[in-house]
Order: sequence, then structure tokens, then C-alpha cells
Amino acid sequence: MATNSAANGGSNDTFVVKAGLAQMLKGGVIMDVTTAAEARIAEEAGAVAVMALERIPSDIRALGGVARMSNPTMIREIQAAVTIPVMAKARIGHVVECQILEALDVDYIDESEVLTPADDAFHVAKTPFKIPFVCGCRNLGEALRRIAEGAAMIRTKGEAGTGDVVEAVKHIRTVNADIARAKAALANGGDLAITALARELECDVALLRQTAELGRLPVVNFAAGGVATPADAALMMHLGCDGVFVGSGIFKGAKDAEHAARRARAIVKATAHYTDHKALIEACIEHGEAMKGISNAELKPEEKMSGRGW
Amino acid sequence: MTVTPAPIAVGVLALQGGVAEHLALLRRAAALLLSAPSQPLATLAFTFTEVRTAPQLARCDALIIPGGESTTMAIVAQRLGLLDPLRDFVKTQQKPTWGTCAGLVLLSARASATKQGGQQLIGGLDVAVQRNRYGTQLQSFVAELSLPFLQDEGGEGGAPPFRGVFIRAPVVEEVDVAPSSEEEGALDGEGGQTGLTGTKEKEMKKKGKGPPVEVLGVYRGRDADGAEMEDIVAVRQGNVFGTSFHPELTDDVRIHVWWLRQVVDALRHGELVVGGV
Repeated sequence: MATNSAANGGSNDTFVVKAGLAQMLKGGVIMDVTTAAEARIAEEAGAVAVMALERIPSDIRALGGVARMSNPTMIREIQAAVTIPVMAKARIGHVVECQILEALDVDYIDESEVLTPADDAFHVAKTPFKIPFVCGCRNLGEALRRIAEGAAMIRTKGEAGTGDVVEAVKHIRTVNADIARAKAALANGGDLAITALARELECDVALLRQTAELGRLPVVNFAAGGVATPADAALMMHLGCDGVFVGSGIFKGAKDAEHAARRARAIVKATAHYTDHKALIEACIEHGEAMKGISNAELKPEEKMSGRGW
Repeated sequence: MTVTPAPIAVGVLALQGGVAEHLALLRRAAALLLSAPSQPLATLAFTFTEVRTAPQLARCDALIIPGGESTTMAIVAQRLGLLDPLRDFVKTQQKPTWGTCAGLVLLSARASATKQGGQQLIGGLDVAVQRNRYGTQLQSFVAELSLPFLQDEGGEGGAPPFRGVFIRAPVVEEVDVAPSSEEEGALDGEGGQTGLTGTKEKEMKKKGKGPPVEVLGVYRGRDADGAEMEDIVAVRQGNVFGTSFHPELTDDVRIHVWWLRQVVDALRHGELVVGGV
């Protein structure tokens, strides 16, 4: 992936640095945390980064109302507590929340459907920012639209806060199937076929061609949205994700800090050793009881977060 | 020489981080080395593999510890019981090892700005590093580096600068081994290469001292106040090599070619080797 910046807008060096941090997170787990104490649990468990947010997605779901960028005081406390990268979420299309997070010197911004969208037509133009962005996707077209806007890292949307992995699986499977189509289009039909497929997927032709040539997304692609157990994390790695975000799965319903720490360690282990069945058994035992969760099939369409954005 | 030696097994520690990037550049570097008609290395063969377990490590002749999060790698390695095998590989067996960014942190004797309570290290380089020397991701950057040790990799007219990609990068803030006078001169001078000759190193070993830490790369930039700074970003001590920056995030294969030559030399001589091929 050393050449992955070629087709992106903006300065090449800037994009190398933005995408490069995501490359250094590969094989790791990024954990949602809401306090400095939770951030320390994540760091000690071996998280490669933490996502600072006001409430974990399952609580956002339960509480309703408008979910916004986190309080800067909380973000600063988390930054002071850990030495691993700190990410934070901004609402889709909310340029000023992104500017605030950049000024707060976080390491990555997640323009996230987990928060209530601020713009129903546009995502943030991400290339002009010096800070890198990660964005969610359900398919290849959506991923490449975000990369064209300047995203340096992609994740599946899944269905956050449910503890049900089915949507995340569907999204990575769809991305993989779309990439296979792009490879076939390039091999069999060349430029014309790639252009036609780009029209169908509603994405940039050059980025689609680059994806077809690489046989993978041109930036790092993590799993997110419903990953709740070590086996879920390993499943997403097995399906070709570069790493995983775990939102509610660590702290939701954990008996105490010690149980949360065990869950966190177990998911790190399962992600790093996703092909090692002995390690996976140990991880499952260490993890203990998982969050109860909500079955995706029981959600009404308007209750789903993954439909936010385009 | 008609004997075909066994392939040289080079591993990349694959607990987390930029593993695939190193493997891709290693394969390109090996292809270059083996195709050069004038190379005496044409009879060699390499294998490149991911290393996750102690048995996999034991099969390796040389190792790269990639960039990533050093806290994560240290925690995962510790839980796997891999720290002691790694220390044995690097410090006792003295097999050639190269760490980039997080790898440099793990190969250092001391690290500052680590997580609360500190972190486990492998060691091998008698240096102290400061993690996240430049700050957060917003202070990450790309800078052209003049790396004299690459002068033989540049062909006619010397080596062009190397694009150093620094991502939340550590730097070497202290070299524990007292540098010789020529090393100090080289640090102050314009792009001077340090490096003792092999003979000199053998003399030092006879005297019971380990090989010295050599500074192989310095980044000259300005800090937030505009003051000039000189940060040590590439070091070597015996068979252990460390860089603050990420050659694996560029298309520039020169450092990987250079390092494979170092590996070949070290294995061929069966002892510590200093100096170019």
C-alpha cells in the first residue's frame, strides 16, 4: 500500500502522513471510551488508539435526542491520560465541530453516523484539513466517495450500539464483492468498463481504477458497528478487515472495571491472533459474558444509524 | 562458488502495524539485489515471512520490527511470552534486527514519554528514545533526509535525499555509549557519516567493550519556536539498526536494499560487521 496516495487530491506528502497513521494501526483494536479511566483500561489492554466520545453508541441509542461532538474537557482529560492516539467523533457535515477537534489536537476525526447528522446533503470536505479523517461505508461506492473527499481511513458502518455483527459483516462482504467486480471490469473491459462501473457505484473513476489495480481499498479499512466479542473481532479480520473498532462491546454491561479490562484484552488478543484457534479459545474464556445487545432484525429502519450519510 | 547456500530467512514481527508494507519492500529489495549482474550476491536466496510466535522467530536469520503502536506490540508480545525470545534473538544471538518507529522504541534501552507505569522493551541499542517526540498526529511530517550510509545505493553522483515519513515519531535523545571524537565531529559536521571500521570495532571488542552506537541519520529542523534542532533519527549498534521514520511508507527501496546487504554480511562473517559491503 506504499503507493496508496497517488489518486488522492491534496498534497501527496500530507496524504502519506494521514494514511500512514492508519497503516500503523493495522491489526489493532480501537476502543470507544468516555472517561480518562476507561482510556487507561483500553491502553493497558493493548488498544492501538481510543475513540473519545460522550456516550457509547448503545447509550446514545437508548437515550435518544441529538448526539453531538464530545465535550472538549473530556477529550483533554483522555489526551492527558494516555500516550496512544486519541480519536474523536464529529457529526456528518459539521465542518466547525471538525475544526474544533483539529484545534484540540486529537489524532484522527471520525465523521460518524453514530452522531446525529448536521448536514443532510454534504459530508465534510476533508482534504483541506491537516488532521486525518476516518469515515464509515456500506459499500465500495460510499467508501470511494469519502476517500475522494479526503478520508484517509475507512471503516464499515455496521450497526453501532447493537452488539449485533450482522450489518458489519454485510458491509465488508459488499465492499469485497464490489472490489471483485472492479477487478473483473478492469481485466475484461478496461477503461470503458471501469467508467461504467464508476457511474453505477457513483464514485470517482481514478479511485475505482486504483482499487481494481490494488485489489483492495486504497486506504486502511477497519471493521466497526456491532463488534462485541473476540469471535466477532476475529470474524471481521477473517473477512479481510485491517483492524477493528469496538464501541459498546467493552464497557456496556461489564460487571466492573476488571471485567471491562478482561474483555478489552480478549478482543486485542483475538484480533492479533485471529487465525490461531487456541488463542481464540483463550480469548473467549477471558472475555466472559458479552453485552446483551439488540438484534438488528428488530430495529425499525428509522432506528438504524447506518442509513445516515450517502 | 557453486554451492547453493540455504535461503536467508528474514522475518517481520507481525503482532500489529505496518507488516505488509515492509514485506513488499523487502521483496523488491531482494529482487534488485539478486538481479544486479555484478553482485556477488546472485547465488543467494531470501525468504520473507510474518513472525507471530517463538518457533517462527527461531527459524529467522534476521528480523524487522515494524512501525505500529509500541505499547500494543509490547503488551501483545508479553502476553504471548515473546519478549524473552525476542531479547535472546537480538541481544544474545545478535541476529540482525531493524526497528522502524515503534520498532526503534522497542529496541532501545530506555524510553521516555511512555504510558503510565512505563512499557516493556526488548533493548539491543544502548540509546534512550523519547516517544512521540514531535507531538500528536498534527505534528507528523515528511522531510528530506541526507543519509550518508546510502551513498553506495545512489549510483553515479551520490545518493539523492531520502523522504523520511515521521508519524508520531520517536527520536533518540541520548546515546549512552560515549561517542568517540570522530563521531562527535560527524554529528556537528555537514552530513558527515559516522562509522568505525571493522578493525577498529574488533579492537574494541577485544578490550571487552561492545560495539559503539553509531549515529547514521540526523534530522535538522526547527522546533515550534523556530530554533534549529538536530534530532538523531537513525542509529546502529552492531547488528541492531533503528530508524525513527518509516521507509516502509515510501516507494524508496534503498534502505531495505542496504539493510539486506548488512544482513548478508553479518551472516557471512558470522560476527558483528560494521561498514559498507
